[in-house]
Amino acid sequence: MPDVPKNVAASASAISVPLSRRSRADEERELVRLAQSGTESAFEELVRRHQNRVFGLVNSILRRREDVEDVAQQVFLKAFVSIKRFDLRAAFSTWLYKITVNECWDYLRKKKVRPLTYESDMSEEQVSRLDGIVSADRPPERADQRAEVKETLEWMLEKLPEQDRELLVLKEIEGFSVQELSEILDLNVNTVKVRLFRARAKLMDVYHRRVGPGGPSR
Amino acid sequence: MEPRDNVNTKACGEYEARLEDYVAGESGGAAANEVVVHLKSCAGCRAAFDAAAASTRFLRVATPLMDRAVDPGPGFARLVMARIRTEANQRAQKSIWRPVVTFAWRFAMSATVALALLIAYASQQPGQTTNDLAQMRSGDLMSDPSDPVGPPTSRDDVLRMVADTDHGK
Repeated sequence: MPDVPKNVAASASAISVPLSRRSRADEERELVRLAQSGTESAFEELVRRHQNRVFGLVNSILRRREDVEDVAQQVFLKAFVSIKRFDLRAAFSTWLYKITVNECWDYLRKKKVRPLTYESDMSEEQVSRLDGIVSADRPPERADQRAEVKETLEWMLEKLPEQDRELLVLKEIEGFSVQELSEILDLNVNTVKVRLFRARAKLMDVYHRRVGPGGPSR
Repeated sequence: MEPRDNVNTKACGEYEARLEDYVAGESGGAAANEVVVHLKSCAGCRAAFDAAAASTRFLRVATPLMDRAVDPGPGFARLVMARIRTEANQRAQKSIWRPVVTFAWRFAMSATVALALLIAYASQQPGQTTNDLAQMRSGDLMSDPSDPVGPPTSRDDVLRMVADTDHGK
């Protein structure tokens, strides 16, 4: 591993000071260039800037808190190893999130686990309350009802095919735009939209299948 | 929520992307109007759109309640860098021995191939000699009609050989 050059600031703060007037994107590009030339402190700063988002992304896909830190570390390790091959045409964040998504799926494949596993289906009592929960316009105020809404969404997402689930989680929970998703998942923008639309429709199909055709209605 | 008789109804392929824009609230003006007009005339798209819209509403209500990832904390970056250094050191240690290991493997492979060739040659030699001797004893070699310089078998052959000016060349 190359040593940190003496003329380059050794700490992240020292790096960011001369760059403070530039836009965040330019600043990040500069950090990437420094990291590519072997400046560890620049890479450390990149880790600091993106660690929360990478953690969130790993958590959303794996839904196993005990594995999140390990996988997130692995993501940054891979990014460090291959940063010289990053050509700066795309945003660093997009490139990093692409590594994150791939790492999560590799991890799930190796462990041969599904992203989320529930041992049992919902109880009849829960099913009878589903309609109200799914039709609600805003989050309930009571803690137990909020927990139920959360559980219901997790249950519905669990029933979706993995690709649909991943897309919905990235779009609706992690807040990625369609453009970002197309770059992260290497898909055409139109394909992302079509898949998202189908995934949304399927999510409601999950609900209808569980409660049966012509199920509870208001 | 309205009950649906057929939840598997499919939307028109050419409208799905536009329906996604519309349901996500990312289309407006003429594009939105076009979708609205189409929805009025297409039952398949309307059914799919109703399902997608219901899901989207529910997602907007429920996603803020989802568990967020634990904050990695300020020590995470240092931890990552430490792991990077450890792995880099391990790789460097491995690379010291790599040329030696590679040479050893190549040497072993060459030796194996050479040994196999030697064994093959040695096992073929005695058999071949025995065959040749047996053939000579049986006179097969003498009577080979294709051999132009074989020993003469008759007086005519001897005369023909003497008359042959190029001596079988």
